[in-house]
Amino acid sequence: MKDLANNTLLNIEGLTLDFLTNRGRVKALRDIAFPVRKGRILGIVGESGSGKSTVLWSILGLLAGNAQVTAGRVDYGDKNLLTLNAEGLRALRGEEISVVFQDPMTSQIPVLPYAQQMSDILYRRSMSEADKRKAAVDMLRRVGIPDPESRVDAYPHEFSGGMRQRAGIAMSMLTGPNLLLADEPTTALDVTMEAQMIDLMRGLRDDFETTIVVVSHNLGLIAEMCDDVVVMYAGEVVETGEVHDIFHNARHPYTRALLECDPARITDVSRKLPVIPGDIPDLTASLSGCIFASRCQKALPACSTTAPPLVERGTGIARCHLLEGPLADPSWPPPAEVSTVMRDTGKTLEASVKDAKPLLEVRDLNVQFRTMGAMKSRLRGVERPFVDAVLDVSLDIRPSETLALVGESGSGKTTLGRTILNLQDAAGGSVRFEGNDIRNMSERRFKPLRRDLAMMFQDPVGSLSPRKSVRALITEPLLIHGAEGRNLDFEAERLADMVRLPRGFLSRYPHELSGGQARRVGVARALALNPRLIVADEPTAGLDVSVQGEILNLMADLQEEHGLSYLIITHNLPVVRHIADRIAIMYLGRIVEEGPAAEVFARPAHPYTRALVEGVPQPDPDRRRQNTGTIKGEVPSLLRRPKGCDFATRCPLARDACREAKPEHRQIAPDHRHACLFPLRYADQQIT
Amino acid sequence: MPEDRESAGRERREKLKRFLTDWQAVTGLVLVVLFFASAIFAPWIAPYDPNAMDIPARMSGPTWVHIAGTDQLGRDTFSRILHGGRVALYIAAIGVSASLAIGLVLGMIAGYGPRWLDNLLLLAFDAVRSLPAVILALATVALTGPSLTVVLAIVILTTIPSYGRVARTATLALRHTEFILAERSLGASTSRILFQHVMPNVIGPLLILAAMEVPVVVSIEAGLSFLGIGVLPPQASWGTILNEGYLVIRDAPWMVIAGGIPLILTTLGFTFLGEALRDIFDPRMGRGR
Amino acid sequence: MTIYLFKRFGLAAVVVMAVLLLLFSMLHMIPGNPAILALGTRATPEAIAEYSARMHLDEPVLKQFVYFLGSAVQGDLGEDVFSNRPVTAIIAERMGFSLALICTGMGWAVLLGVPLGCLAAVRPGSWLDRITGVFSVGTIAVPSFLVSIWALLLFSIQLRWLPAIGAGEPGNFADQLSHLVLPAFAIGLGWVGYLARMVRASMLEVMGEPYIRSARAFGLKPRRIVLGYALRVAILPTITLIGMGFGGLISSAVFAEIIFARPGIGKMIFDAVSDRNFPIVQGGVLVATGFYILVVLISDLLIAWLDPRVRSSL
Repeated sequence: MKDLANNTLLNIEGLTLDFLTNRGRVKALRDIAFPVRKGRILGIVGESGSGKSTVLWSILGLLAGNAQVTAGRVDYGDKNLLTLNAEGLRALRGEEISVVFQDPMTSQIPVLPYAQQMSDILYRRSMSEADKRKAAVDMLRRVGIPDPESRVDAYPHEFSGGMRQRAGIAMSMLTGPNLLLADEPTTALDVTMEAQMIDLMRGLRDDFETTIVVVSHNLGLIAEMCDDVVVMYAGEVVETGEVHDIFHNARHPYTRALLECDPARITDVSRKLPVIPGDIPDLTASLSGCIFASRCQKALPACSTTAPPLVERGTGIARCHLLEGPLADPSWPPPAEVSTVMRDTGKTLEASVKDAKPLLEVRDLNVQFRTMGAMKSRLRGVERPFVDAVLDVSLDIRPSETLALVGESGSGKTTLGRTILNLQDAAGGSVRFEGNDIRNMSERRFKPLRRDLAMMFQDPVGSLSPRKSVRALITEPLLIHGAEGRNLDFEAERLADMVRLPRGFLSRYPHELSGGQARRVGVARALALNPRLIVADEPTAGLDVSVQGEILNLMADLQEEHGLSYLIITHNLPVVRHIADRIAIMYLGRIVEEGPAAEVFARPAHPYTRALVEGVPQPDPDRRRQNTGTIKGEVPSLLRRPKGCDFATRCPLARDACREAKPEHRQIAPDHRHACLFPLRYADQQIT
Repeated sequence: MPEDRESAGRERREKLKRFLTDWQAVTGLVLVVLFFASAIFAPWIAPYDPNAMDIPARMSGPTWVHIAGTDQLGRDTFSRILHGGRVALYIAAIGVSASLAIGLVLGMIAGYGPRWLDNLLLLAFDAVRSLPAVILALATVALTGPSLTVVLAIVILTTIPSYGRVARTATLALRHTEFILAERSLGASTSRILFQHVMPNVIGPLLILAAMEVPVVVSIEAGLSFLGIGVLPPQASWGTILNEGYLVIRDAPWMVIAGGIPLILTTLGFTFLGEALRDIFDPRMGRGR
Repeated sequence: MTIYLFKRFGLAAVVVMAVLLLLFSMLHMIPGNPAILALGTRATPEAIAEYSARMHLDEPVLKQFVYFLGSAVQGDLGEDVFSNRPVTAIIAERMGFSLALICTGMGWAVLLGVPLGCLAAVRPGSWLDRITGVFSVGTIAVPSFLVSIWALLLFSIQLRWLPAIGAGEPGNFADQLSHLVLPAFAIGLGWVGYLARMVRASMLEVMGEPYIRSARAFGLKPRRIVLGYALRVAILPTITLIGMGFGGLISSAVFAEIIFARPGIGKMIFDAVSDRNFPIVQGGVLVATGFYILVVLISDLLIAWLDPRVRSSL
């Protein structure tokens, strides 16, 4: 590493930082040290609470007001950015060091057009306004904004999410900075957009020779994009190295566990996913020994008292007792096949439910949203003042079966789930539960059915009434549906046990729960009335990789015990592969393909399905895609639904016939159907 | 479980500590307590009968005998101020609680109910708000003649829209949150959703608003009484004291000064208290320290 | 945009209608003969009979409202009970005094309050911020009619700097101005503090937004960030606030006109109430309300013009 010194653009040394909160001093960063090498892409990876974004903000000196740097230096050239005065920092910001923000919705000022925002960034250049505008247009064109000459005058809210993030990247690259910092640049975007962003940023690095530091929790993005990786846990750097070393030769037990938990890296399909048990330690308490010791499968008693040694290797460092010193274990790290994390490989139910009568049958369901008032539509002469959020959807769910409904944002998957549960009125079609039509039923008549049909909502904490205790929350379904003769305290404890929530949590309030704990409360509420079907909207949203397995395993166990059926609504394909029997892919409110999970993954028929499957960045640098941009553009707005196949505007294989009429659904196997005029498998078969 | 109790208790102690170390909060609390105590115990604290005339001592400036002087009928201004506080307290207590309750219910209905009802209620709020309180009071009094009841009715009517709007906005924001949807998915009735789940989340900002509205209400009463269209002489109210003082402002300036001070202290007290509560319970709206 | 304008004007018209209905029903809900209420107790039986016929008092209530509405729209607000002059003429005479007072009062409050709040927000905790804070609380706490009384006492009676009574000699601009100073000071004072506070709070909120952090991350000058970015957004809620605040300002102006004996609309209504001169009260209330609705309308349109998000959602 020493010989790289003159190759180092930025060097962080011993950075230690506290946040002063009313809970006390949070030791958010402790002794952070790593170099950023010129012309490379460095990824900082970690779960929530790891402090990865804080590192990024301390480089720019844009920390929150309650942050206090207590030690360390951040060297950029001959300057220490931590002690540089305000003027000096301002001279660097935007010119030499620039930022791409996580959420393009909130990080761009809504009241100024891009032309103004971008010429403001160039204020230090002695250029005419016309030249600044030209520079802005050129950069917008470079990042792939169509028609930049007129789009430069647009306001942020006039752009879609993906376009906004492109514009955000254009703003940060406008001055040709030496160092680009990217804070979770794709987290707010869909899978197909994520692939395009990774491509774009790699291209910009090559064109402008910019060094990039990217912060992400997404192992796939890190593997696909980065040259060097820094792994953080609870405010410490636990391991650094080149990307190949991290992903194929991880030395720290945390790195190893984190990788093993990623469902995309697990080849065998089983209902059970691995987990790292336990929670991140309380950073207000005094810390000693190895920070990961409390959750480490290999921890020895000394690990929690003695600080681990810093072990160098070819391309980086790792901090672990197993590697060096008296506690060293020559058998560590074990070969890649050996699992180091907890995984319940218990027998899972091999559902032989194919012939059973469907529990839920949805036929030609349509849901429409009004786009303007009656008066406005008449004045403007709009014939259909509404959009089709769900269009002619049919699907079946059989007892004890898991159906996953997969789609990007705006695909109508959540609306479909809510309509099935009669939380949203449908415009046409039917929803049958055990043979009875339940669509648009009055709430009074529907109420008894709420015992059989339960829902889990996307936001684990936000779906719990904030002023109610956990005890009140999980017994509420019983109260609503009549709890005569029941001992509510007993029921509360029974439900808590069922979802493996410690009983002590019953007196807590939602904001005092972690994401995983709140999710358990949500599961308990859904289970309280012994339902037959649970609609789960993004059950792993907001959960870290190491925790999401716990919830999915719990759901699988409960399915086995109670014969539950699940409709899982998600965008997370790697997870779906493990938990779903069948998959339905939605695009712009229509189901474009439906079939057995394994079949859909292995041999997708619809080009959109293939784009989704291939769009997920692989958490393995050896499996990098050379050309990630298989499909272009973004999901069109529902207001501009294409006349023919909805996907024709983005489909690489679209022909003229695709733009004429909506393709009918076709059956290609008893259980597998799609809506494509020129399906992939059909083409393959013809060639062979 | 003991751990949880401890953490909840710690949070409460933390909030109390923040409240007690904020000089504005403490000043506010002291003034508000003073307001309540002096109004409730006025008959026992007041040195004189507020309506007892002492003609020889009329128009006396502040002395040890009459610490705030006397009026043109020789009544003790200080005693009249104490008794005037009772009128202010009466109007504030009834006016604020009534408009809070009505505004809360109307606001929740507007925010959670159907669109047409929301539009109708908003229109009603807008129409009422378009009539400045004093103008409305003048118009009413022109028809009914002055009385305390009219003042109370005007106070309630004109302050309902501010509660209603806050409650409506908060309800509207909650309406599409996942936890309300979750309650619906469990089959909870509308009244259960409104009173069990919406109200606890809406009432906080409304109570803080109520604390801030007390001075507004007290000022309306004093203002209307000052104009002679509220409390009628000889009954003592801060407004009538100011009115009588205004008439003799050149000869007995202490009356308008003495009559104004309790008004300012009350306003200051409730404003400080309301802001301190808001800072502690709703830091987002706060002074941003 | 045209649809928005259409809708917004329509709404304003509906609110005016609602207010008219309120006024009308007040007149009719009160027990007693509306003619006597309208003409005063001194009216002769002939006058009452004539008035009843003219105002269609013997016809159904709904029809009466239509007549009332029709004449109000045509600018006929009835006649003064004593002088028999049209109410509109009397209002036109007095309107200027009220408008001058209200606009001057709000004007100086805006000119002082907005920059003060802005400066305080830029440096929270500085001496300027603290002084602004104390000043705001101090001025908000004093009801405006009390400010009027105390200002009268201090500046006119004790110090004799400014005239106490009236609106000044007609045609003498300097004299009129000197009569405007105290009431305008009195009704604007609370607003200086209030605006300073609101602008400060709004600025502080905006300064915490991610897009301000973006602007800082791009190295923009602090001056540009405060004036070009933060204030550009923070001023929007302030405009709404100022628009809505005119309601309170009208109330303050009524007090100020009565206390300083300024012959504006407020004083006119007040005097008419004591005389039970109902046509004047009704006309005055209508004008005051209409003015307020107009101001709110203007502030809404201003927001729609300044905020591209609102503009494009129309």
